[in-house]
This record gives sequence, structure tokens and C-alpha cells, in this order.
Amino acid sequence: MIKVKSVTKEFSLSRKQRKELGDQYKKIKKVRAVDNISFECHPGRIFGLLGPNGAGKTTALRMIATMLKPSSGSILVSGYDSVDEGQKVREQIGFMTGQTALYDRLTPTEMVKYIADLYGMDKQNFNKRKKYLFDALDMNSFSDQRISQLSTGMKQKTSIARTMIHDPSVMVFDEPTSGLDVMTSRSIIALIRNCQEEGKTVIFSGHRMGEVNQLCDDIAIIYKGKIFYNDTMDKFKAEMTKSTFEEEFIFRVGEE
Amino acid sequence: MKFLTIAKKELIDITRDRRSIIMMLVLPFVLIPGLFGVVYTIQSQQAEKASEQQIKLRFLGKEYAPDLYEAFAELDKVIILDQIPTDSIESYIQEEYLDAAIYINRDYQKSIDQNKQAQIIIKYKGTDSFGVTRDLIKSVLSTKENQIINKRMDDLNLKPDIVKAFEIDYKDVASAQEKLGKIAGGFLPYFFIIFGFMGAMYPALDLGAGEKERGTLETILSSPATRLDIVLGKFLVVMLAAFITAFIALGGMYFGIQTFPDLEPWVLEIVNQMLTLKNIALIMSLILPISAFFSALLLGLSIYAKSFKEAQSIVGPLNIAIIFPALIGTLPGIELNAITSLIPILNVSLASKDIIAGTINPYYMVEVYLSLIVFAGLAILWCVNWFNRESTIFRN
Repeated sequence: MIKVKSVTKEFSLSRKQRKELGDQYKKIKKVRAVDNISFECHPGRIFGLLGPNGAGKTTALRMIATMLKPSSGSILVSGYDSVDEGQKVREQIGFMTGQTALYDRLTPTEMVKYIADLYGMDKQNFNKRKKYLFDALDMNSFSDQRISQLSTGMKQKTSIARTMIHDPSVMVFDEPTSGLDVMTSRSIIALIRNCQEEGKTVIFSGHRMGEVNQLCDDIAIIYKGKIFYNDTMDKFKAEMTKSTFEEEFIFRVGEE
Repeated sequence: MKFLTIAKKELIDITRDRRSIIMMLVLPFVLIPGLFGVVYTIQSQQAEKASEQQIKLRFLGKEYAPDLYEAFAELDKVIILDQIPTDSIESYIQEEYLDAAIYINRDYQKSIDQNKQAQIIIKYKGTDSFGVTRDLIKSVLSTKENQIINKRMDDLNLKPDIVKAFEIDYKDVASAQEKLGKIAGGFLPYFFIIFGFMGAMYPALDLGAGEKERGTLETILSSPATRLDIVLGKFLVVMLAAFITAFIALGGMYFGIQTFPDLEPWVLEIVNQMLTLKNIALIMSLILPISAFFSALLLGLSIYAKSFKEAQSIVGPLNIAIIFPALIGTLPGIELNAITSLIPILNVSLASKDIIAGTINPYYMVEVYLSLIVFAGLAILWCVNWFNRESTIFRN
């Protein structure tokens, strides 16, 4: 369960950044990446956070994962406060982005073991979980090869295994299919679907409406840091005035 | 204890990186003995060449000072070239066809006979390596001059003591270890300080900016490890790399000296006196805090950078900041005192010099340790603080 309540995130602008942004930013010292957003994600449901590039999706997800602190408002993950109980929050979370984010000089087994050690997993639990994931993802044939020697698909599987090794109850996917080919994207989609079936809370950010339509139970549309639509996917579909999801999304963003 | 998990992983990671291994282990061990060998060989070859070299002289005014001409002509090393035209002498010297020309004044003998100064002009090229030509001419002329002075004094019934009021006997109380220590000790610390810095540089860049570039930073930031765990884990590995590199550089020097074929036995004996286990342990105890200082500084800058490339350009100028105080320490006259003991890098350089020479002052040594520990501590605090700043970690 994730509860985001009235969260705002401001970033200070350096002199160099103000200069680069132009004259209108000359006297502005701070920018709001996220502006007073609220939403809830429930176990067993996939929540889609949609918006164009620079809308504030990654900032919102990084705040949920405790990498960034909200300037105001609060975030609860499985009942733990993201600021006061950051470590507890991180123990609940699996965080995955479009980048495989792996260490090339380690093997998949070492990579997964490293993450498991950071999560404080005991040996027995680790071995059991590793066997389950490596069997399910068909990783045993390359588990002891250096990651640098693996194909993109193998790397993606390793990335999934390292995200899931500690069996998190909350999954955060930040544009997980961005830049990936169709085959690899499909394995990620399958993973997200699987997490939902296992009753995990899933939050997913992206801008490909096809994926959103295929996966999400609930959606929030974020634009310029503000959420201007937050409801179930079914309701969104029912309220559509355009023929496709892309057109509807552009129409709604354009209205703002 | 998550920092140990991070340190263990980072250690595995860098030991599998060929570039890190070359920088950490191979280069310091091979480079210094190799460098010693190359410099020594070139220098001895040059010196041998210079000493065996024939010196070509043009002697003008042979008829005015035949005895002086003979003094040069009878030397095996000297070839007197009489054919060179007078107006081409300078260009011949410039082109190095001729080493020097000696001009004797027509009044030479008259001046000598009248107890006056005879004028002699020497033309030579000052860039001549090792000053062999100038030294040879000076030596022949000086012998001749002494003969003339002695004769003049004899004629005047004077003893040579009349123009030599003192008989000075300089007795050096510095031991051979001390003297060699002050010379060799000046540049030895320079090498292992630089190597320590170089050894820390690549792992620091890889573990900070490299992690950002690969996108793996988010993976560990979203894990239960705290920021302090992450910084400490990385810092320990960078420091270990710096320490090992400096240690191997020191070992490389020792090995290089021990296996050097042309080294005089007395030099080897002094080197063995200087590089005792105690002295090596003392030097290493200085390298440990200075490695901590370098590592925290490099890691902090690397974490600030957006990419590996940017980190390299940020760290580049720092090289000069490190080399400069290390270089100052090699200069003669700069000694370890209450003030220089407080300046990081310079204090390591100067203290190592004194340790090698066997003249280290324990009070200054304590001051050096305190200064290094304080600076290392401040650098670590700065690094942790830097890592806690969102604007550094997610700098875009």
C-alpha cells in the first residue's frame, strides 16, 4: 500500500541553471517538480503514473523510494513514513528502471547475492528465493558468467531477479520498458502482471498508452508536476471523448 | 554492517578491472625500478661519453705562450686544430665542431715577467653537457697560474702561507645515511604520494561517477543500506587501493635498489640501513591517513560529477594540487618544523625524508599524525555530507 498525501518537491536552481533557462527564471530560486500531489496505490492492483517527459513522474517515484525527500506532504509505504522510517520503507520496495542497472564485472549470482546481503537476507532464504527466480526466469545456464558477456535479454532477466530477490511487497517501476525492444519489454510486462497476481502493490510510470491500457487498474495523469486526473482505468475509458488512448491523453494534457 | 557488504562487493569489482589492477599493482612495481634503471643508464652512458670525448681546441697566440700551448697539447684528450680560420671560430663553436678557443694576448710574456696579470680569453659553449671542456681548461690554467704565483713569491722571498691566512679542515658529522637520506629521501616520498593518489583515482571515479553513469546508484540508494553505509563501503575500498598502490611503489623502489646491478656496495648498505622494517612501518603509518584524505576527497568529487568523463576533468587539476606540495618537500632547505608539520602532503613528504635520514623529531611526528587525522576526518565528513545532498546525487 502506498499513500501519497499533498506532496510537493522543490529543487533549488543554481546560478548556472537559471542562466541556461533564460531571463524569466532570473529571479526564480526554486522550481516545483511535483506540486501538491495525492494518490493511493493498493495491493493487488497496478497503478499507472502517466505523463510526458519532465512531468514529475521520476521525482514522485524517487520520493516513494526515499531517494528524495518531499519538501512538504507525506508518503506512507506499507504504513512506514518515507522520511522518518526510510530504511523500513526501502526494505518493502523493489525499484526498477528501464536501465538494467547491473555491475558488469559481477556474475548474475554475485549481483543477486549482493542485493540480498544489502536486504539482510539469511542464507537459507536467499538460496530458496534464488532457486525460484533463476528457475522461473531460466537463468541457470548463465548464472556464473560475467554480466558484461551477457545478451540484453539475459541482462534484463538478471535485473528482474535482483529487483525481486527479497520478495518486496511494493514494486516501483520507473519507465521500465523505455528504450527496450519488443521482446524484452514483454518480459517486463509479464513481470508486472505477475507481481499483481502475487498481491503486491505496483506503481508504474510511463507514457506508452498501449502498455497502460494493457496493465493498469488505476491511473493518475501528471503534467507540470500536478495531477489532474486520478481514477480507475475503467472510469477513464468510460469518459474518453477521443477514439484512441494516445489522442485522449494528448487531448487531456493539451487542455491543461 | 552493511558498509562491509558494500566494501566487499566493490573490492571484487575493482580487482576484476584490468585498468585498476595495472594502476594499483603493476605500474608502481614496475615503473619506479624501470625509471631508476633508465635514468641511471642514460646518465652513466652520457657521463662516460663525455669523459671519453676528445676536446677540440683552437689555440691563438701559440708563439706568445709556448709553454701554455704545450700544457694543452700534451694532454691525450686534447686535439688542437690550427687550421680553423680566425673569423670562423665562433660559428665553429656554435655548431659544435670546435669545443673552445683560447686567445693569448701578444703581451702575455711581458705581463708575466712584470708581475702583472696576463689576459687570456676563452670562448666556449656553455650548454656543453657536464661542463667537461670548461673544467679541463680551468684545471690546466689553474696549474699554470699556481706555478707562476709560486715563482713570483720565491722571487720575493715570500712563503705561500702569506696569501693563505686559514687552513680550514671541514669535518662533516652527518652520517652517510643522513646525507643520502636528505637527498634520496627528498624524492622517494614524492613517488609514493603520487602513486597513492593515482591508485585511489581510478577506483574513486569508478565507484562514484561510474556508478551514476551505469544507473546502479539508484539500485543501492533504494536498498536498505544508509547513505553512510554506501559512502563508508566505497571509501574503504578506495583507501585500500591508495594504500596498496603506495605500499607497492615503496616495495618497487626497495626491490629496484636491491636488484640494481651497478650499485656500489656501500650505497646498498646505507639503503638497507635507511629502509629498515621500522622505517617502512613508520612511512606506511603516514601513508594510511594521507590515503584516507585522498580517497575521501576523490570520492566526494567523483560523486558530484555527472559522468566518468566529467569526473576526470574535475579531478585533473587536483593532480597539480597534490604534486605541488609533494614537490616542495623535495626542495633542499625545506624542513619539517612546527608549521610544515601541519600542511598535509608536504608534511608526509618532509617526515618521510627525516625518517629515511634517521633524524625524525618525535614531537613533529605527533603533529604530522594529528594534522593528517584531522584533515582525513574533515574530508570524510565532507564526503558523507556531499553524498547526503540530493543536489549532488541527482545532479542534472
